[in-house]
Amino acid sequence: MTMPPTSLDTFALLAPEIALVVAALVAFLGAAFLGLRSGWLVALAGIAVALALAGGQPTGGSVVASGGVRVDGFSTFVRWTVLGLGGLLTLVQAGDLFTAAVSRGPGLRRGGTCEEAGTFLLLLAGLSLVGVAGDLVLLFVGLELVSIPTYILLALKRTDARGQEASLKYFFLSLVASAFFLYSAVCLYGLGGSTELAAIGARLRSTEPNVAGMATVLLPAALGMAIVGAAFRLAAVPMHFYAPDVYEGTSPGNAAVLSTLPKLAGLVVLARVLGLAIAPDAVAAPAGPAAQFHLGLFWQLAAVLAAVTMTVGNVMALMQQNLRRLLACSSIAHAGYLLVGVAVAAAAAATQATRPLGDAGGIETRWVFELGGMTAAVFYLVTYALATIGIFGALAYLGHRWPEWTTASGPRPPREEITTVADLDGLSGTNPVAAFAIALFLLSLAGIPPLPGFWGKLTLAAAALEVDWNDPVALGSRRWWFVGLAVVLVLNAAIAAGYYLRIIAAMYFRTTKRGVQADGGLAAGIAMLACTALVLIATLQPQGLFRAASRAGASLSGTQPQAAATAAMRHESLPR
Amino acid sequence: MPNLTPATLLVLVPLLPLVGAVLTVALGRVLGSRAHLPAVASIAASAAVAVSLLVGLGREVGSGGTGRPVEMVNTLWQWADVADATPAGAAVPQAFSIPIALRLDPLTATLLAIITCVGLLVAIYSIGYMHDDPGYPRFFALVAAFVFSMTMLVAASNFLLVYVFWEAVGACSYLLIGFWFSKPEAARAAKKAFLVNRIGDFGLAVATFLLWITYGTLNFHDTITADGTIVPGILGQVRLADAVGYVGGAVGTAICLLLLLAACGKSAQLPLHVWLPDAMEGPTPASALIHAATMVTAGIYLVARCAPLFVACPEALTVVSIVGATTALVAALIGTVQNDLKRVLAYSTISQLGYMFASLGTGTLLGFTAAIFHLVTHAFFKALLFLGAGSVMHSMGGVIDMRRFGGLRRIMPITAATFLIGSLALAGVAPFAGFFSKDEILAALHGRGWPGAHGEHHEAPASGHASLTVAPGTHLPAASLLLGASRGEGAPASAIRFVSRATASPATAPAAGGLDSPRTWQLLFWMSLVTAGLTAFYTFRAVFMTFTGPTRVPEEAGHHAHESPPVMTLPLVILAAASAVSGWWLFRTQALASFLASTPSLTCPTVADTAVPHAFHLDVALQGTLAAAIGIALAALGHLGRRSDGPQMERYLGPLEPLFANRFYIDQLYAALVVKPLEVVALIAAAFDRHVVDGLVDGIGRLPGVVGTVVRRLQSGLLQRYALAGVMGTLLIVLALAWGLR
Repeated sequence: MTMPPTSLDTFALLAPEIALVVAALVAFLGAAFLGLRSGWLVALAGIAVALALAGGQPTGGSVVASGGVRVDGFSTFVRWTVLGLGGLLTLVQAGDLFTAAVSRGPGLRRGGTCEEAGTFLLLLAGLSLVGVAGDLVLLFVGLELVSIPTYILLALKRTDARGQEASLKYFFLSLVASAFFLYSAVCLYGLGGSTELAAIGARLRSTEPNVAGMATVLLPAALGMAIVGAAFRLAAVPMHFYAPDVYEGTSPGNAAVLSTLPKLAGLVVLARVLGLAIAPDAVAAPAGPAAQFHLGLFWQLAAVLAAVTMTVGNVMALMQQNLRRLLACSSIAHAGYLLVGVAVAAAAAATQATRPLGDAGGIETRWVFELGGMTAAVFYLVTYALATIGIFGALAYLGHRWPEWTTASGPRPPREEITTVADLDGLSGTNPVAAFAIALFLLSLAGIPPLPGFWGKLTLAAAALEVDWNDPVALGSRRWWFVGLAVVLVLNAAIAAGYYLRIIAAMYFRTTKRGVQADGGLAAGIAMLACTALVLIATLQPQGLFRAASRAGASLSGTQPQAAATAAMRHESLPR
Repeated sequence: MPNLTPATLLVLVPLLPLVGAVLTVALGRVLGSRAHLPAVASIAASAAVAVSLLVGLGREVGSGGTGRPVEMVNTLWQWADVADATPAGAAVPQAFSIPIALRLDPLTATLLAIITCVGLLVAIYSIGYMHDDPGYPRFFALVAAFVFSMTMLVAASNFLLVYVFWEAVGACSYLLIGFWFSKPEAARAAKKAFLVNRIGDFGLAVATFLLWITYGTLNFHDTITADGTIVPGILGQVRLADAVGYVGGAVGTAICLLLLLAACGKSAQLPLHVWLPDAMEGPTPASALIHAATMVTAGIYLVARCAPLFVACPEALTVVSIVGATTALVAALIGTVQNDLKRVLAYSTISQLGYMFASLGTGTLLGFTAAIFHLVTHAFFKALLFLGAGSVMHSMGGVIDMRRFGGLRRIMPITAATFLIGSLALAGVAPFAGFFSKDEILAALHGRGWPGAHGEHHEAPASGHASLTVAPGTHLPAASLLLGASRGEGAPASAIRFVSRATASPATAPAAGGLDSPRTWQLLFWMSLVTAGLTAFYTFRAVFMTFTGPTRVPEEAGHHAHESPPVMTLPLVILAAASAVSGWWLFRTQALASFLASTPSLTCPTVADTAVPHAFHLDVALQGTLAAAIGIALAALGHLGRRSDGPQMERYLGPLEPLFANRFYIDQLYAALVVKPLEVVALIAAAFDRHVVDGLVDGIGRLPGVVGTVVRRLQSGLLQRYALAGVMGTLLIVLALAWGLR
């Protein structure tokens, strides 16, 4: 298999990303030479153009490859998600910046809207590139194009010691993670003899004896380091440490970006590395021993990391009083939930890989399981992102509170940024709309039916339970593992409800004499309301998103989207 | 709006109160003392729409009522839908789809009109009753939210939606019982109502699971998939036309008994009736609307809606009647010794609901329509009585103990007159409403006890509908006559993949002996007759104690005990008029019965074949009237014109008096058997939580600070450590993977 040559087609496929980069350049240059003041409007316009261009792209299950670019159902889903979430995040960031522009308090810097908006657009372009990358080099470049703007954003936003500490921490640890991923890419290149993912995959799945030998040497390092590289972006164990410190040290807008967009990048990396061992279509020959090693290692590692990550995140969050630290820990826990879906996808693919050719009846049901895993993961990611962006949007919108003060106690002290859970005390009385929105998002994150977070957790748990459905739950068997994983997931959801409800209790059952300011700017408020609307829509109409997620999951394994909808909510037919 | 189709109007009925509730919440503080406006206006509009739908549907059905099924289903959107999820090669389609679908059929239209109209009157009355209450906007928001939930409950066209709104009305009820939540009794009553209802809700949940497993769908109506396959709904016309479409046996009986458990919880039937008397702690208008006229009849609605399911399980049906008649009798006995006016009415409500269940359990068309007939008239006169009691309470400074006042007819003539009309209706005195509906119920029971006496033929001809000679497709045009929104007519009959299940048709298989014998039904009839006498007695005992005798006013009322303002008496007068004439009119024209007979559930051959020609059963009517006359005479003997704090009738009851006064010790029994053991368990759990779990959690929380544990040290904020941990973790992973490969 040779790589299709780079041509004009490649650029046509990259049109949305190019539009984002052009918009970024407009923002940068406009600020420098034309006196442009409102960078975020440029960002919104750029995203709108990119959305329009993305609408003209091939969609559905069809795969179009040109150069290093590969547009399939999954990358289409990633692209739409990036642009959609990017629009919401732009609003959050813009509102956040408005605060900075009007306040001269310590910490938040004023000005610089165009630089930030341009940087943010580059970040989106990078993430979108990660989605369409069909080549290791492009994948790595895309990941760096996500990371580098993130450093800038973190450093631009706050100039106090805490902000500098956060951005430096993120910078160095991100470098470590990037280095790991680069090593992994090198190993994969060594194994496959090509940087093209499809070529590496074909070689990995082949039954040549020397491939198996090389895999024994290279695969542990390649897989381990790829997963660690992704783990940093997901904020999963063992690269989760930075999250609480960095979230605490930055603005709500940046925290919103950090808790959603890199997670998507991490999930794409995992999906692409996992996808190496999955045949592009269901009727391909069974995979060779190397691919089976690959899948076996992958699901076990993902399952262990999932269980550890969600437990660590939730236990850390349980005692947090600082809101952004709490949400950082919660974002670690949610990375664990996402890994459940990845583990399920890998395990189901492993089952498939060992099946002999021609067992058509079996294939059909097996694919159902596998699709369940990735579908559930991307579905969950979107529900999580909506709620998380909503919360950070609300925090950005609320901005500051007045401390308690009476005329007797001297001059009025300066306003304080909302940082702790206690700062939200009595919010239902002072700002009922924001309180309702935050409560809605928290309940969704906690997985309370019928909110979208519940549908997400349901699909994840159901997908885990469907692995090797027909096998008994024998100790140590794969089914036993995944039943255990589902139990851990549900227990973790229960733990998590504890700290989410603590915030709701503070807002609704405590009273305060401190005034709330809601000075974070209209844009963040709009983002909060938009997220509220989207969460409510996904509550009433979850299967629109679910279908899209199914198509994304289906394209990873080359099966028809039709079968994809079978995923997790499938009802086991009962004998009459 | 250019195109006000019935489908649109149907959506408006619940939508308007929802908008009203949201507006009240949003604008409550702004509106202040005018906070009732959004709720009252929206419920009024909703009532107008509901009545127009009822009238329109009535025209559609026609005056004679042909007995053909009439329904319209409006599917708003698919809530959860994995319709294309059927695994290839699966024998039975396993589409899991929950549409947000509203239906309109005679049963729903009747209930929608009752709920919105009574809701409107109660809302208007509350303007006077609740004024100056600090929770004024909250009250109207809750009432509007309740009307929304209740209308959705009766309009929902699948079991999951029914469950959702079953819970929603429960939540509204909880919030309204505990409306004055700072009163400990109110908070306790709300909690009790909620917990007891949970038991019933559990029954509905399990019944829903079983229905899904058994029938593979939760929809009431038939649906057509994209490829033209008809998926028969549980109460859809395809299954209804097929006389053997319903599962009997153990599974069917289990489903029915679980549904009955749910109905018992919501409709306060034995053994789950204990919450309703305590629910009187809520504001009286809420008691009138929720705990007398509408929500408590949800159980009746559920059983009537599921009539074909019940008819397939004769044992379950008999249990329905036994539960109903027993509840009716027990509650009436308790009601005779209550001194709290609202509690008398509460027990009366339980008792009258018991009547309706007894009627439903007969399993005949007459029984089902009589139950709904009684539901309608009961909604009028019981709402009237409650609002009357509220009017008394309002004027007596919140006192509701009948022993503390008397002769109030001189102070509040309108309340007294309307209360008397309501009482006559409740006691079943001709020609007031209750007489006719109660007579129908007694006739239905009589018909089962003495088959043949009225020309009924309960032994339905075995050949009638057991065969599948009628292609199900031919029924569809009838279904679409009111623009059947979710069905495409004219689907080829060959496309119907309906697997009929072989069960014995219940109507053709009369149970030999056992529970379902005429003797049982005779006993139930006599119980109901005694209950009728008791009803008349306690009702008129209350009337005489409150409104006759020397005029006495408790000191809480102050010096200005007066008739209530017009905004409160107007609803009383309207309801009194309805209580006076509705029964006679509906009975004479048989408008309701023939209308209801077109409800799809009641067109099931197993139900429809039990139809009997309309007749006035003189013997039954005479017995009922005699019972009522004895009851009223006894009440007059004891209480007419006397001081209400004088010696009571119960001195004649002897040893039975404490039994009745203590409500048959049922609350005490529950306290000893359920509450106390649970409290012990809770104490143990609390101790475990405090010492073991909290200890553990505190330990985890203290661990980092005190011992300087690994967790704290790792999360030190030191960049080098984070990087080191990451690298070590990576090494660990790579080594583990290499080990795994070996």
